Amino acid sequence: MRKHFSGPLGKSVVILGVAYLLLEFGIAYIPPLFGVDSGPIPDSVLLQYMVTVAIGILLWVSFNETLWEEFKAPLHAAMVEPRQRRTRVALIVLVPVLVGLMTFNSVRPSIAAPPSLRSIHPAPPGQIDFQGRSMELAGVENPLRSVGSPEEHYLEGRRVYYQNCLPCHGDGLAGRGHYAQGFNPGPASFQDVGTIAQLTESYVFWRVAKGGPGLPNEGAPWNSAMPAWEDFLTEDEIWSVILFMYEQAGHEPRTWEEEGEEH
Amino acid sequence: MAIWGGVAFALSLAMMPLGLGALQEDEQLGKVTYDRWCSECHGVDGDGTGSAAGYMLPRPRDFTLAMYNIRTTASGDLPTDQDLLRAINMGAPGTAMPAWDDVLTEAEKQALVQYLKTFSRFFPLDENPVPLVLGSPTGVSEEVIAEGRGQYEAIECWKCHGDQGRGDGESAATLMDDTGFPIAAADLTENWFFNGGADVEDIYRALRTGLDGSPMPNFSDVLNAGVMTDEELWAVAHYVRSLAPEDTPGISEVVLAKLLTEGAELATSFDDQAWEEIEGTYIPLVGQIIVKPRWFDPRVDGVWVKAMHNGDDISVLVSWSDPNNSPDPLWSDWKSQVTRIMEPREAADNEIDAAPDQLVVQFPMQMPEGMERPYFLKGDSRRPVYLWEWKSDRQTALEGEARGVGTESFQDEGQDVSVKGMHSDGQWQVVFTRPLLTSDENDLDFITGEAIPMSFFAWDGDNGESGNQGSLSSWYFLLLEEPTSTKVYVAPPIAMLIAGALGFFIVRRVQKREMESFRS
Repeated sequence: MRKHFSGPLGKSVVILGVAYLLLEFGIAYIPPLFGVDSGPIPDSVLLQYMVTVAIGILLWVSFNETLWEEFKAPLHAAMVEPRQRRTRVALIVLVPVLVGLMTFNSVRPSIAAPPSLRSIHPAPPGQIDFQGRSMELAGVENPLRSVGSPEEHYLEGRRVYYQNCLPCHGDGLAGRGHYAQGFNPGPASFQDVGTIAQLTESYVFWRVAKGGPGLPNEGAPWNSAMPAWEDFLTEDEIWSVILFMYEQAGHEPRTWEEEGEEH
Repeated sequence: MAIWGGVAFALSLAMMPLGLGALQEDEQLGKVTYDRWCSECHGVDGDGTGSAAGYMLPRPRDFTLAMYNIRTTASGDLPTDQDLLRAINMGAPGTAMPAWDDVLTEAEKQALVQYLKTFSRFFPLDENPVPLVLGSPTGVSEEVIAEGRGQYEAIECWKCHGDQGRGDGESAATLMDDTGFPIAAADLTENWFFNGGADVEDIYRALRTGLDGSPMPNFSDVLNAGVMTDEELWAVAHYVRSLAPEDTPGISEVVLAKLLTEGAELATSFDDQAWEEIEGTYIPLVGQIIVKPRWFDPRVDGVWVKAMHNGDDISVLVSWSDPNNSPDPLWSDWKSQVTRIMEPREAADNEIDAAPDQLVVQFPMQMPEGMERPYFLKGDSRRPVYLWEWKSDRQTALEGEARGVGTESFQDEGQDVSVKGMHSDGQWQVVFTRPLLTSDENDLDFITGEAIPMSFFAWDGDNGESGNQGSLSSWYFLLLEEPTSTKVYVAPPIAMLIAGALGFFIVRRVQKREMESFRS
C-alpha cells in the first residue's frame, strides 16, 4: 500500500482527498468543536477551491522533468502493463460511471429556494426624516452619553428593549428570541462582532428608526421584519435602547474618528 | 411551613456574623446576574411583575410563591437545585423564557439558583428536596400505545387536552393558572413546545409530578392508591408522545406542489385520500408585532401545508391547531380576559365584536424579477400582493390584493378560487383550489418549476385576534412540480458513453505507441 502513496500521483490523490474532506466537512464541523459557529460551504465555492487545489498539484508535479515522469509512470503503467489489466478495465468502467452520476446530479430537478443575497449593512444616509422633522446623522454621537445618569438611561433602555425587541432579538441579545424562527432573514445578533460592534450609534439609530421598510435599494429583497420604530418610540427611547444594547452585549460603539481614519 | 421559614431566617441571621464570605460572594453574583438578565421580566423582587410581564402569556414566574411547574419532586414539594438549573438551561419552549445554557457561565447559573430561592421564605437553608424515583421507560409497541389511549380516556386527559390532544377539551376555555391568568391546555401534537422536554421520559415525569401552578394534576397519587399501574402510566406517556411527529419539523423553505399522474383526481376537499400521499411542510407563525396594533399572544403558532396540481388546477391544503370554531360563546370569557390583560394596548378601546377564525395566503401579484419580492407584510405600492382570504363564518374564499397594510381589497365577483374548510378535534383544515392560469390580470399565474413566494396570516377570533392582531409568517416558496424532463434520462447515459469512448481511445493510443516504441 505504502508504495502506491509514496509517488507523486499517490500523494496528489491523497492531497485532493484530504482537501475535499476538509472543505466539505471540516469547515462545517471542526470550528463548532471550539465553540465557533460554522456551516457548510456552497457547492460552487467547493468546486472553486478544489480546482485551485488541483492546479496547485499540477504546478507541483510539472515543476521538473523527473517529477513529471514519476507522476505519469503509474498512469502509463495502468494503461499498458499486461499485469495491470484489471486496474485498466476497472478504470474504464468506473470513470464513465462517475461521470454519469455527476451529470445526473446536475440535471436532476431540485427543489431549492432561490438564493437571497443582500447587503447586510447598506450605506447610511447623512440625514433622515425622523417623525416629520429633519435629523442630521453624520458625526452624531448618542446624546444620552453626555447628559443625565448612565444608570437611568441603561434601565430605561432595558425597559424599551424588553417590551419591544425581546421577541426577536432575545434576552441574550443573540437574535434568538422566541419569535426568531418566524422570520427570514433572522433577527440580528448583537453579540456578533459583525453587527453593532462595527457600527456607529447613529447608524444603529437609523436602522432602528426606519427598520425594514426604510432600507435603501441595496437592502433588497426587503424581507426584514424589523419595524420602523419611529412609529412606536420617542427619540430618547431609541437612544436609550441603543445605549442598553451596547452595554448589555459588552460592545463599544464605533466612533466617528475611527470612521474618518478609514476613509 | 411558615414557622420553619422563620426559623431558617433566624438561623441565617445567626450565621451571618460567622463571616461566610463565600456565601455572600455567591449571593452577590446571583443578584448581579439576576438584576442584569432576569429582572425586567420576573421583577427586581422576583414577583413576576417586571416591565415586560404584560407582553407575555403565560406570565413570567413569580418566585415568591416557590411554585415551579418543571420538577423531579412530588407535587406540592419544592424543586431541587438541579431542577432550577435545568429550567434555566432549557428555558420554557413556546414562551418568552429562553434557554440560558450558553448565555450565562456555570458559576452565574449556580449563583442564580441560590439567589432565586432567597425570594421565597419557603426554601430551607441546607436541605435539598428529594426527587421522585421515576424509573426508566417501558418498551413501546402498538399495543402499548393502544393501552395508553385507553388510559388517556380513563383518567380524562381529554377533558382539557381534547380527544386528539390539540388542547381543545371541553374545559380548555376555562383554564386558569394559580396566579389567575388564562392558560392554554398544551397542544400534544406539538411536543417541541412542551415545557420540561419533548421525550417520553419528560412526559412521564410531568404526569408523575404534575405541573404545579397550572391546572395539570399529578398522577402519582393515582399510582399510590393502586388505581393505576406504573406500566399504564408509562403507556399514557407513550401515547401522548405518539401524537406528535417523530422528529420536530425542520424549517423547509419550499412547499412542493406534487404533480399528479395522468388520470389521478385533484383533491378539492380536506378529507380526500390523495392528501395522505403527500408530506406536509411545517411553517412557523409568530405574532404580528411590526405595525400597530401589535399582538403578543398569537394562538396559531404554525401551519402545515400540502399542495398538488394536475397541470390545470392547483389545490393547497392548510391545517393548523385551533381549539374552537370562532365565534363560540363558550370562549367569550377567555377572549375578554386575553384582550384585557395583553400589552400594549394599541387597538381601539371598544370591545371587539364576535370575530371569526381567518386565514390569508399571500403571493406576489406578479412573479418577481430576480430576488426582488414584495414587502412580506402585504406588499407596497410598487410591488403589490395577491391574496386568498378564508373566514370561518363564510363558505367562500375571496381573492384580493394589497399595496401595504390596511390597503387590502377583495373582489366580489369573478372569483377563481374555491375553498372547503372544516373544524374538527381542535384543528382547521382548509383547502383552496384555483386554475393555474386565470383571465384576471390581478391574479398571479402559477407557473410550474418556478419558486413562487408564498406566506400566511392566521387569526383565532376567540383569542381576541382580528385585523392586524394575529399571526404571520415570512416568505416561503411554492414550487409546482414539473414533469421530469427527458434530459434527466438522456444526459447521463450520453455523458457516460462519451467518457467511456474517450477512455478507451486514449488507452488504445497509448498502448499502440508503446508497441511501436518497443518494436523500433
